[in-house]
Amino acid sequence: MTDGPAPLSRRGLFGAGVAAGAGLAAAGAGVGAAAGIAGATIATGVNPFAAATNGDESIDLSLSHPFYATAARQPQGGIRTTPQRYCVFMTFDMSSSVATDLQVLLARWSASIAQLQAGKTVGSVEPAHGDGVGADTGEALDLGPASLTVTVGLGPGIFDERFGLASRRPDALRQIPTLPSDRLQEGLSGGDLSLQACADDPQVAYHAIRDLARMARGTATVRWTVLGFGRASAGPSQTTPRNLMGFKDGTRNVTTDEEYDRFVWVDPDGDGEADGWMAGGTYQVVRKIQMNIEIWDADVVSDQQRVFGRTKIEGAPLSGGTEHTTPDFHARTASGDRKIDETSHVALAAHENNDGVKILRRPYNYTDGLNQYGQLDAGLLFAAYVNDPEHFTRIQRRLGAVDRLNEYIAHIGSAVFAIPPAPKKGSYIGEQLFR
Amino acid sequence: MPFGKHTVRPLTTLGALGVVTALALTGCAATSSSATDDSTDSGKVSRVSITLTNDGSDKCAVSTTKVPAGPVTFSVKNESSTAITEVELLQDQRIFGEKENLAPGLDAVQFTATLGGGKYQVYCPGADKELTDFTVTGKVASTANSSAATLLKSGATGYSKYVDAQVSDMVTAVEQLQTDIDAGNLEAAKKDYADARPYYEHVESDVDGFVKKGFKATDNAGNLDYLIDMRASNLDPAVGWSGFHAVERDLFETGAISDGTKQYAADLTTNVTLLAKLVPTLDYKPEDLANGAAGLLEEVQSNKITGEEEAYSHIDLVDLAANVEGARQAFAYLKPGLTKLDPTLTKQIAAQFDRTNSMMDGFRNADDLGGFDSWDDAAKSAHANEVSQRVQALQDPLSRLAEKVATA
Repeated sequence: MTDGPAPLSRRGLFGAGVAAGAGLAAAGAGVGAAAGIAGATIATGVNPFAAATNGDESIDLSLSHPFYATAARQPQGGIRTTPQRYCVFMTFDMSSSVATDLQVLLARWSASIAQLQAGKTVGSVEPAHGDGVGADTGEALDLGPASLTVTVGLGPGIFDERFGLASRRPDALRQIPTLPSDRLQEGLSGGDLSLQACADDPQVAYHAIRDLARMARGTATVRWTVLGFGRASAGPSQTTPRNLMGFKDGTRNVTTDEEYDRFVWVDPDGDGEADGWMAGGTYQVVRKIQMNIEIWDADVVSDQQRVFGRTKIEGAPLSGGTEHTTPDFHARTASGDRKIDETSHVALAAHENNDGVKILRRPYNYTDGLNQYGQLDAGLLFAAYVNDPEHFTRIQRRLGAVDRLNEYIAHIGSAVFAIPPAPKKGSYIGEQLFR
Repeated sequence: MPFGKHTVRPLTTLGALGVVTALALTGCAATSSSATDDSTDSGKVSRVSITLTNDGSDKCAVSTTKVPAGPVTFSVKNESSTAITEVELLQDQRIFGEKENLAPGLDAVQFTATLGGGKYQVYCPGADKELTDFTVTGKVASTANSSAATLLKSGATGYSKYVDAQVSDMVTAVEQLQTDIDAGNLEAAKKDYADARPYYEHVESDVDGFVKKGFKATDNAGNLDYLIDMRASNLDPAVGWSGFHAVERDLFETGAISDGTKQYAADLTTNVTLLAKLVPTLDYKPEDLANGAAGLLEEVQSNKITGEEEAYSHIDLVDLAANVEGARQAFAYLKPGLTKLDPTLTKQIAAQFDRTNSMMDGFRNADDLGGFDSWDDAAKSAHANEVSQRVQALQDPLSRLAEKVATA
C-alpha cells in the first residue's frame, strides 16, 4: 500500500548542486535531483544589471523529516525546519462540538502526517473492493517525501465552552487585537485549527492539505487557505531570499539555540511555567499581507530603499556595510538627517527598538491571480513563531501606525494558533489535553 | 416535508431517521475498556485482542486465532501503527464486523460478532501482512450477516417502488404543467414547474441511463435524461433544446408562453411518459441504492450550489432539497440491513442527514416557488459555502456505503 524507497525524482532539474539540509534523513537510496541556480558573483555597484548571487542551493526530493519526537518538548516540524520552497496553509472551523471528535481528528491527522512526511500514502489509492472510495487521493504517488512537514495548530476557539477544554487554555493564546492599518477580511481570518504543509514540491504540500481536509469532513469545515511559493525566509545554510517587493526578507531572523529558547519555545526547560501540554511548543501568528504590486513597481528605487531602510540588491542597512552589518539607527548624513529613516520598516521592526524582542519569521510569497481591478493579487503569507503572541502584537502596533511600507501593503488576514510540541511515537498532537 | 403531499407511499422505515445522534466520526472514544482478557472462559463470550504496531513496518497482531462458535468480542488497540486505520473481520469478502478511525494514542475499541463455525480472516489494510486466518470451531450457525443481506435486498425492492411512484407522479405533474401552458396561464405554469421538478430530482441518478430504441448511446437525441433535463450550459447544438429547462427559460426569462413553449411542454410530457414506462423494468441491487444516493449528492455539488441547474427560475434550493430527500430515501431503505452491518456508520450518516435537513429548514419560505428561498446571487454569496460544506460532510460517509452493502 505504501510506496517503497523514494524513486529518483523526474521533477527536478539535473545540474550542479550538493544535497542540502543537515539533519534530514534520506528516504531513498537514489541521489536526489538538484534544482538550483549558481550565479557568478559580480560586485554590486559595478554592473548596474547585476543579479544578486544566490549561492549554491539544491533540492533533494528524496529527503524526509521524521514526525515523531524522540524526547520531551521537541517541536513540530515546519518551524525551525530549514524552509522548504512551497507551503500550503489552511484553517478550519470545528463543526462538531463533541470533544471525542476533536480527539479522533487530531489522532488521525497525526498518524497521517507521519505517513505523508515519510512519502507514504494515507491509505489505499485503489481500494480492495471495487465499490470502495480511495483512502488516499493519489496525486503525490512517486513524488517522494520532498522534505514535507505539516504543522498542526489549535486556535483560541478550541478552548471555548464547546469541548470542555477552557481550563487548559494558555493565557497567551488570545485573538490578536485589532491593530492600526488592519484591513482584515473575516473570510481570511481566524479558525479553530490550522495546518501548514511545507515541501519542496508544491504538489506534495497540496496533497497533504487536501487529504487531511478530506479526513476532517463531518468534523470540521474549511475556512481559508493560502498557497505559498518562494520561501521568504532562510535557514542556517540558506541565503536570504526575497519577498515580492524584491527585497531580502528576514536578514535578522532568530537563528541561535539561545534565541529560540528565549523567543520561540514555550517553557523549553519544562520547569512548569506553562501548562505541560504546551511545554516545548510555540505560537503561530499568521497574517495575509496583500501588496500593491503595481504601485510599488512605480516607486523609484531610492524611495523603496528608504521605505525598507536597506539597499535593494545587497540588503545592507542604509547606515552602511553589508547585509549582515548591524544597522546603526543613530547614523546621520552630513546634512544631519538619519541615514535609516525612523519610520522605515527595518527601524520599526528592529529588536533594538522593541525592548530586545525578536520574532521567528517563516513567511512565503503568495499569489491569488488577478483582482477585480485587473491588478496582480499577490503578497506575503506572513507566519511568525513566538512564545508569546503579544510580542508580534507589540511590533505590529508600531508598524501599523507609522511604517512607510503601509502605503504599499494591507494586512487582510489574521489568525493565531497554539502549536503543541511534537508527539512521541504511539501518541498524537495534543493528546495531553484529553488526559 | 415540502413534497410530502405528493408522496404516494409513506414509509415506516423513515421514522427512525428522526433520531439525532451526536456521533460524527466513529465511536472510537465511546468505548474505553482496554483488552486485558484474552481467555475464552469469561462467560460465553470469547475475547480476542488485535494490536497494531510499527517497529519500522506496520504489524497487525491477533492474540488468538481459534475460538469456539458464539459471540466473540474483538478489542482493537493501535499502539503505534500509522498505516493501519481500520480492521475488519471477513469471510468470503463479507464483512462481519469492523472498526475504523484507529490511530496511535486513542483508547482501545471493541466490536462483537456472533460467529458460526468456519474459516474467517482478520483484515488489516496497510499492514505488512494484511490478512490473518481466524478459525471458529463448532457448529456452522446461520450468521447475523445473512439476515443483513436479506434486509438490504428487501430494502432494494421497497426502494424500486419508491422510484416508480416518483416517476409516475412526475407524469401527472408534467401533464398539469402542459395543461396550464396550453391555456396560456403563465403564473400557474410557473407554479406547476416548481411542483414538477422535485420528482425528477428525487430519483434522477437512478433513471438517467435510458436511451430510446434505435439510437446510439452517444447520440443525445435518444438520451431520455438529456431530452428531459438538458440545461443551457450543456446544450448539444445538433439536437436543439427541449425539456424542463427550455420551458423554464420561456416561463421565467422570456416571461411569455409561445407556440414553442407549448411544443416543449408537449415533448416533455411524451418523454416523461416514456420514462415512466421504462423505469419499472429496472432492478436494484443494494449497492445501486448507495451509489444512487451518492450520485444525487454529486448533483447537488456540481449543479445546484452553483445555481446552474435553475438558471432562470432560481429554484435550485427546491432541487437541492429534493436531491437530499431522494438520497435520504435510498438510505432509509438500506438502513435496517445497514444497522446490522455497521451501526456506527449508519448513525453517522443519519446524523449528517439530520444536520443537512435542519440547515435546509432555514431556507424554507412558503412565499417562494417550491417552498424555498430563491437561490439568487445574494443568497449564493451568503450561503453557498455553508451549504457546500454541509453537503460534503454528508457526502463523505455516504460515499463509503456502496462498498459496505456490496460486501454484506
